[in-house]
Amino acid sequence: MLYQLALRNIWRNRRRTLLTLSAMIISSALLILALGIFSGMLRDMLASATEQYYGHLVISAKGYQDDRDMFRHFSMDKSIENVLKQDEITGYSQRLRSFGLLSHQQNSSPGEILGILPSQEQTVTGLQDSLIDGHYLTADDSNGAVLGSGLAQRLNVVPGDQLVFVTQAADGSIGNDLLLVRGIFSTGDIGYDNTLVLVPLAWLQQLLVLPGQIHEIAVKTDQPLNAAALAEQYRVNLPDALEILDWGEMLPQMREVVASYAVSRMIIVTILYLATGLGILNTFFMAVMERTRELGVLMALGMRPGQIRTMIMLETAIMGSLGLLCGAVVGIALSLYMALVGVDLSGTLTPITYAGGTILPRLHAVIEPANILIPSVCLLIVSLLAGFLPANRAAKMQPVVAIRDAI
Amino acid sequence: MALIELKSVTKIYPLGSQEVVAVDDFSLSIEAGEFSVLAGPSGSGKTTLLNLIGCLDQPTRGEIWLDGREVGHAKQKTLFELRLRKIGFIFQAYNLIPVLTAAENAEFTLMLQRVGKKQRRERVLRLFSLLGLDGLEHRKPSDLSGGQQQRVAIARAMASEPAVILADEPTASLDSHASEELLALMQRLNQEQGATFIFSSHDPLVISHAKRVVRLQDGHLESDQ
Amino acid sequence: MDLLNLAWKNLWRSRRRTLITLAALSFSLMLIQAFHNLSYGVYASMIDSGVRAGSGHLVVYHQGYLESRDEKLSFNPHNLVEEIGQINGVEAVLPRLYLPGLAQSSRESRGILLTGVVPAAERKINPFLRSLSDDQWLTSLNGREAILGSRLMKELQLKLGNKFVVTMQHRSGELVSEMFRVHGVIKTGIKSVDKSLLMVGRNRAAAMVGSPDNIHELAIILEDQKFDRLVFPQLQELLKTHSDLEGLTWEKAMPNLYNAIRLDYASQKFIFVIMLLIVTIGVINTLLMSVMERFREFGIILAVGASTARLRMLVFLEALLLGLVSMVIGSCLGSLATWYLQAVGIDMRNFISETLEFGGVVFDPILRAGWDISWMAKISVYLLLLSLLAAVYPSIKAGRISPAAAIRHH
Repeated sequence: MLYQLALRNIWRNRRRTLLTLSAMIISSALLILALGIFSGMLRDMLASATEQYYGHLVISAKGYQDDRDMFRHFSMDKSIENVLKQDEITGYSQRLRSFGLLSHQQNSSPGEILGILPSQEQTVTGLQDSLIDGHYLTADDSNGAVLGSGLAQRLNVVPGDQLVFVTQAADGSIGNDLLLVRGIFSTGDIGYDNTLVLVPLAWLQQLLVLPGQIHEIAVKTDQPLNAAALAEQYRVNLPDALEILDWGEMLPQMREVVASYAVSRMIIVTILYLATGLGILNTFFMAVMERTRELGVLMALGMRPGQIRTMIMLETAIMGSLGLLCGAVVGIALSLYMALVGVDLSGTLTPITYAGGTILPRLHAVIEPANILIPSVCLLIVSLLAGFLPANRAAKMQPVVAIRDAI
Repeated sequence: MALIELKSVTKIYPLGSQEVVAVDDFSLSIEAGEFSVLAGPSGSGKTTLLNLIGCLDQPTRGEIWLDGREVGHAKQKTLFELRLRKIGFIFQAYNLIPVLTAAENAEFTLMLQRVGKKQRRERVLRLFSLLGLDGLEHRKPSDLSGGQQQRVAIARAMASEPAVILADEPTASLDSHASEELLALMQRLNQEQGATFIFSSHDPLVISHAKRVVRLQDGHLESDQ
Repeated sequence: MDLLNLAWKNLWRSRRRTLITLAALSFSLMLIQAFHNLSYGVYASMIDSGVRAGSGHLVVYHQGYLESRDEKLSFNPHNLVEEIGQINGVEAVLPRLYLPGLAQSSRESRGILLTGVVPAAERKINPFLRSLSDDQWLTSLNGREAILGSRLMKELQLKLGNKFVVTMQHRSGELVSEMFRVHGVIKTGIKSVDKSLLMVGRNRAAAMVGSPDNIHELAIILEDQKFDRLVFPQLQELLKTHSDLEGLTWEKAMPNLYNAIRLDYASQKFIFVIMLLIVTIGVINTLLMSVMERFREFGIILAVGASTARLRMLVFLEALLLGLVSMVIGSCLGSLATWYLQAVGIDMRNFISETLEFGGVVFDPILRAGWDISWMAKISVYLLLLSLLAAVYPSIKAGRISPAAAIRHH
């Protein structure tokens, strides 16, 4: 009956209820959308660093990631292969790395060369999906190269052209050999587009005089945000000379940005809901004040202050639940639209570097439970808090005064 | 012992920086089954006295005994309980709860007493037919006439079978015909059901129906007939 | 005016309601102003450090260099450096050369961007050079001393004083190599810079590629960012005689930084809009309540001969007063918050221990607000307009009241 009474009290002033509800729905729905888009940007940024280059985990000789010393190489063995058989690992790629000068006719440019096995590399990085010209390396390619669009432009090459690569080999000699451009990729991240070249692993091993050796194994998992724990788990099974790092250890800036997102999300939610909360508080106060006499009568009839408080808190809880339900539905619908369709901003924005990653010029939402749960739960808390003050005031009324004062 | 005993009750209200003595050293005793009226001009202390008997307010000095219990200095919690079980109120402005139907309004105190739904409805329907409210159970207060609303208020006051029903100027908002009807009804309830009624009023019509008239002037007892 | 007086009194009849509404309005205004000013200050410091470490508030390039970064698109500045330096508001003019090449130590080779600078001028401007002591900085335009990025030095496994070789393409197409010595090291916190920066004297770099007088970039640093509107036209005027050159503002020259700021501000604006929407609904609610509860009173006002237009006016005046009062209170609170955020700031080191790069610029870890007074005024006026907008529906309601029905209404 208390519940029914509360429900009817809400509908008593329909216009006011609808306005208050609309404020709740607008704030929570748009908030859910905004958080979804922020998460999308964060996801893009993380993916640009991990899924276009590093992988989620990297296995390498101890210290290699720190200074990329050419001599810190190793070769694949049984124990490593066993680690790579884990279920969470969706792909891995053996890589040899070299830095050197690329030239084509009158043009030259420094570049970072990754020797890879094409079938493996495709399972870690998505560069094959970013090709704008030519094609990817094939398994039997002996001296092909796939390079970034910025680098290709600087060197003035198109697929089919020859490139000369010069670098220092492991035996101290100057290595120097020909490459044939097969394809050109464009990721939107200038860091890769301007420097990165993929070549066959065997070709680079021969050039550097490092037969059978690799510098790192990039690993992709299906739990990117859990990479640190996975690294910890795999570490024990690896040979002593090797280390396994998660993306957070290679990109500490990004790890902190991802970690601090939880804080910034709470700040946004708090600020927005303070404004919403004041609006709700106002409505609930009005709803209580205009019923002063009625509440006095209820008390005169023997209703206890606790029951009065419960009744008003019920009213706010019902409003809050209704608001959060509609808000979540609208918010999820908007986020879904932004997740499936999105908005392309490449006409007005260039890609933006952030904390070692790249934010792509698009609005693209990601649906994460926390982005929906946090605004919803906070809305309920805010409406209960906003209901508590007037409810408390109502419970403290003196029935005689309440009946007399409100004529 | 009498149902209600007031012993040297004084009630002083603060009014700004001043104090107003609403009831001054007042003693009164009312037996079960009485049909009495507290009469007097406005400001004479009728309503204060009614509030004191109804456990809505407590005296500054003196004792109030209700059904063998001192209530003048009882705790707030006890007062709520007493109002729920022992007292029925009828207000001048009816004060029905606008979002509840007539029947729900009458059932309200029973609901608070956790009486079962079926039993509640039975008792209220019996009262409704006694009060001539048949067929109006599902109307909202705003769809009832003043007289009908006040009869619903009587049903509400009687539903929990309280020891005493207090009516503060119950006819003040009604025309003389409706007032006459209402008073006849209450008189019948007093005779047939043995319900104890105490009114406050300055309406001669009410006073003429009463068995006992207690006249007040400036918080003092003037006469008791 | 009587009506205004009446509106004011009406507002204070329901004190709590008015106070809560005022609180919501002023609080939102305060938050919006404070957050805008905080961003304004942070953006200003980002722009400042961005232009000083990068290509300046204004910059001169050979046509097409910005898009292609083709080192062949160099130009001879002749006496442009002096001419631009004489424009009022210009703090410094920095000629620079950018040459991609390969650096080799005895063990390793890495791709680098050889940057040829004028040491004396650069020293005063570039914030990354502050950490260098005087004896670590370059002394001559032609020396073999080089300043390296920290990561580059580590990867090449070099120490201060070590020698290394830089190889690049001469203008003629030949590969040329020269030896340099590590003289100083800088850590910017921007990964791509730290692993490729190699700074040497301008003349030494230019001589390597065989175009001794040429440069790629003329970075122009202004005394204050606001001067760009004054200086830019004068720069364009000067460049009229150099048809192969183009003058650009930092927004065009550093799209990464510019867009980072735009994106960040856009997401902030979105939150502002939601907030303003919510408080507007709150104001509609308040005004509507106050109209509905005075139904009878309005009826009486109408009955004694007032026009409905006057009633509507009354509602608008109440909205106007609500808006005005919260404008004043909100702006005062906003100023107070801005003052605090400027004087004390927010120390990001409590949340993020790493140096944070955004849009190619390293964040100052202490975020400090700046004063954007004209914007503060603008948003206050918006708030006022919104509260007037919120009065439209309630005033229509008030205008529809019929006196007879209103007086009967209880």
